[in-house]
Amino acid sequence: MHLSTLLSLPASLALLTLATVYASPHSYTEHLHLLPLPQSHLHAHFNFTATTPLSAYESSHFRYFPRSLAQILQHTRTKELHLRFTTGRWDDESWGARPLDGTREGGTGVELWAWVDGGGSKTVPEERWSELVNSLSGLFCASLNFIDSTKTVRPVRLFEPEGDHGSEKGGLQLLHGMLPHEVVCTENLTPFLKLLPCKGKAGISTLLDGHKLFDATWQSMAIDVRPVCGAADGGECVLEIQQSVSMALSIPRSMRDRHDPIPRPAKIEDVQCDESKPWNGHDTCFPNAVTDEPAWTLSKVFGHAAKGACDLERNDQAFDVTLEVPSDRPVNATGASELTFPSTTRRHYRLSASSSFDLSLPACPSPVNPMALFTPPLYATRQIAGHGQERGSMHTTLRNPHAHPLTLVYMESLPWYLRPYMHTLRLSNGKQEKLYYTPALDRERGTHLELVLTIPAQSTTTLTYDFEKAVLRYTEYPPDANRGFDVAPAVVRVLSEHGGFGGSYVRTTSLLLSLPTPDFSMPYNVIILTSTVIALGFGSLFNLLTRSFVLAEEVPPSPLAGIIRRARDAVKGLLGKKTGGDEKESKAADAQAGETAEAPSLAKERTDGKANGIANGHADLRERKARVVT
Amino acid sequence: MSKVDPSSEGTADVSNEKAATPPQSAAHTTRRRLIIFAFWAVVVALGLPHWQARLDALLNVHGDASPYHYKVSPAADRSVSPTVLLQLETDDSDSGLHYTLDPWSPTVTVTRGPITPGDDDLLASQLHQVMQQIMVDEHASIALLLRDSPLQTNFRDGSAFTSRFESLQRRTTRAFKPAPSYHLTISLFSGGSAPSSWDIKTATEQYISPLLSALLSISNFTVDTQVQLHASISPAIAGPTFEAATNTWTLLATDLSGFVNAVEWPLSPGIGSGSTINLILYVPHPRQMPLILYGGGNSWIVPQWGGVQILNLPSNTTSHLSAADLEPVMLTFADQLMSLLGVPDSPSSLALRIASLQRQRTISLVLSASSTLGALVRLTRKLQSIAIPKTVAHSVDLTISHLEQACTALSEGNYTAALTSAKVAEAEAEKAFFEPSMVGQVYFPEEHKFAVYVPLLGPMGVPLVMTLIKEIRGLIGRRKGKVKVG
Repeated sequence: MHLSTLLSLPASLALLTLATVYASPHSYTEHLHLLPLPQSHLHAHFNFTATTPLSAYESSHFRYFPRSLAQILQHTRTKELHLRFTTGRWDDESWGARPLDGTREGGTGVELWAWVDGGGSKTVPEERWSELVNSLSGLFCASLNFIDSTKTVRPVRLFEPEGDHGSEKGGLQLLHGMLPHEVVCTENLTPFLKLLPCKGKAGISTLLDGHKLFDATWQSMAIDVRPVCGAADGGECVLEIQQSVSMALSIPRSMRDRHDPIPRPAKIEDVQCDESKPWNGHDTCFPNAVTDEPAWTLSKVFGHAAKGACDLERNDQAFDVTLEVPSDRPVNATGASELTFPSTTRRHYRLSASSSFDLSLPACPSPVNPMALFTPPLYATRQIAGHGQERGSMHTTLRNPHAHPLTLVYMESLPWYLRPYMHTLRLSNGKQEKLYYTPALDRERGTHLELVLTIPAQSTTTLTYDFEKAVLRYTEYPPDANRGFDVAPAVVRVLSEHGGFGGSYVRTTSLLLSLPTPDFSMPYNVIILTSTVIALGFGSLFNLLTRSFVLAEEVPPSPLAGIIRRARDAVKGLLGKKTGGDEKESKAADAQAGETAEAPSLAKERTDGKANGIANGHADLRERKARVVT
Repeated sequence: MSKVDPSSEGTADVSNEKAATPPQSAAHTTRRRLIIFAFWAVVVALGLPHWQARLDALLNVHGDASPYHYKVSPAADRSVSPTVLLQLETDDSDSGLHYTLDPWSPTVTVTRGPITPGDDDLLASQLHQVMQQIMVDEHASIALLLRDSPLQTNFRDGSAFTSRFESLQRRTTRAFKPAPSYHLTISLFSGGSAPSSWDIKTATEQYISPLLSALLSISNFTVDTQVQLHASISPAIAGPTFEAATNTWTLLATDLSGFVNAVEWPLSPGIGSGSTINLILYVPHPRQMPLILYGGGNSWIVPQWGGVQILNLPSNTTSHLSAADLEPVMLTFADQLMSLLGVPDSPSSLALRIASLQRQRTISLVLSASSTLGALVRLTRKLQSIAIPKTVAHSVDLTISHLEQACTALSEGNYTAALTSAKVAEAEAEKAFFEPSMVGQVYFPEEHKFAVYVPLLGPMGVPLVMTLIKEIRGLIGRRKGKVKVG
């Protein structure tokens, strides 16, 4: 594997997609790029590009451009749209730089940014943005409608329009929103496929299956709409929609039998042990990392072969699938014609409309050398540190692996309940050139923090700041409040060395912020406790007012008390019978004694009258206390 | 062991001696009764009515159904109508009476024999008959509209049209609800991958746009078109069956309602206000060509949704449909559009048909706005606790004033102004009814208040009730005793 060809991967993909745009004002092309990655992974990049002339778009005559999306864009006056659905993590330590420099991927969950025609007003773009997110939410079955004003920011330096907006550019406003909590799944893929002219029924889109796509280690679905004005065909501008799906599949995982998907450990004979470990023995094995790339076929990795071709007005040199493997590796392709180009590592295939296409590659003992992969422009990680429920701190580590300094734009969009202390913002290394900061307003606006930084060559920079966690209102907590709250990933744009347009993007993972969570049964407890106290007070007051207090012997005995006493006696009798003879005798004697002791007191009471009664034996006192009757 | 407890016997002895509690002073008893009475008075006088009101709001199933009443005078006064122009021509050669309608303008040309001076009465009655013939359809439609409304009695000869009601009813159920604007989506669905383009721009400009501009007096229209490939017929139907004898695929009439594959075909309604009318041209997959309908025809209407048409191409390889290919398709679409909008079939003049639709629309909008207002009133009566925002009150005021304007304009024969007012009234009434803040309040959980109050009222109620019972029992017992003594 030559370094130069790998270096050219992102560039070649970009060129490929751009080159086909100008063929005809109404055009459609699709392309799949396959590249084996280290650690038995396979990177597949699907790209579907459709264009429509701007005149046809404005008069609402659609051919390859999806009508459902177009009418949303027209209604909300959106001129350029970027929508991303991402799950998983791209492992840039092992797989190298991100595909297409990270320009066609988003942060975990859903990310959306768009240039909206504001009409020179301040409130109009927000209304249109709100309509846009709500309509897209319905179209893609995603909770995009939760991108409200608290999750929307207006980045200054992070993004630049990709399309040609001509004189309109001044009136356009950029709005950006992220939903890190959103779980991307099949319900988002189905509407995505419906936008394609061939709808996943012919061509490479038949390979897109929710079971495999969302089982991938990393996947990102992207939709990019932009106007393109080419000089090639008389200068008529076209509106281009690029739909792309980029995924990194684990080959052994996706090759698993669909009817028996349970992973089973390999047999001990098949495991290669690392014998250099001191504990290696006949019963202890430290397995070696598997470096071989297993044999794979397209139909097994994606669940089925590609059916037919979506050949709509494509020229004879167009190809649908590119496989990038060393030229000496045997590849068996069926159902397609192989096109030869003067390239050593790429094989191009053109699908045929009537047959299904499959690729099969035998196992390869010496796969891609990880050292040969293109180094990412930057390594970025972000964590929440600190303890307790009141404060925390954010740590971002940015590592520049290159021999030249990097200039980058770092943006964070923080929820309002995470309140950063800006005076604690520290940059351990490197230089902060500019700072754009919009403070949060509770329940109205989130924090927008954008920094332009320079990081010296071969060095690591740490960006830290402290923050305070807000206490939310009772109803603002989600049902799974103890899970924590998602904090959107930070987006880093590494500016290209010579300045100007472009640059590559790196996103950190999303974070979980645990906020102080109340006991949710508290309101009910408060209600019960308060009610009890009030009822107690009322009851005592009411009784004091309406009852008169007399001595026990002044009233007839309550029939209830008689029943209770008889029941008690019966139980006592039973207990007495059960116990042994000696005990019974002694107990009887005790009882006799009690009787004799109490009898005189009773007699005395009768004669002395009630005034003296209170002073006599405890038994009577107890009785009297218990019986207070009106 | 019962002997063990001597106190029970002791107290029994005591009770024998003293049958009752020591006598209390009369003042004491009265005071106690007054206290109990005072507590119960508070409960009965203040607590219960409040509680009752809550219960009522919750459990009352229906309030008094009284929508606002508006007087609508039917648009039948043709003597002042400026919308129809009667032209009288005399023809010496023919003594009979004929009339012709101008297809593009609301002009009726009546031809009859020479007029002699004594003919005035006859002429007037003849002209009246002509107008009646022309307007019979409209009369019947209005009678149908008013049939179930309280205004029925205001309409003079409603019963005369009952025979026409069935066909008119079918026309009404097929048509879209009146709306100020409609969105028209014309789609080409190909079963296979071809044809993938059509000259729709020219075709709509030629065949659809003139019709839409004629209909502008009723509603605004926006049009968009799309091409969709690989569109399979809905799996919900049995699907076309192959007739080996004729080498054709046949769709049964029962399959037509489920033909449109709502799950897979991207026919999302248009954004913004107004309903979406779908006009679909379906080109079957080459495998299923030719696809015909059992019993002939190649198009049908899905009521209140749109129209579908099947086009069998002579050649499998046609990838482009020219404007000329689309001419019959567009004419059918125009026809389907007319029926979907509820344009009456007669008289033969388009201008008169549209004018008639305009009047029918006005009436149905006025009726619908007033019934919406009535529903709003019933709602507010049913849910007494609902807070009504100022905007709703404002919308209701606007609705009422526009309804009055519409009625005035109708009686003056100013039908365009009447329709405009009726549209505003309908829009405002809908806005008032679907006010989001009110909709939210409907779901306010009143029941939770019970759950909150029960822990308080339960413990408080028990002593109150027990004391009352005891007091009443005491009272009754004492009275009996008194009787015995007396």
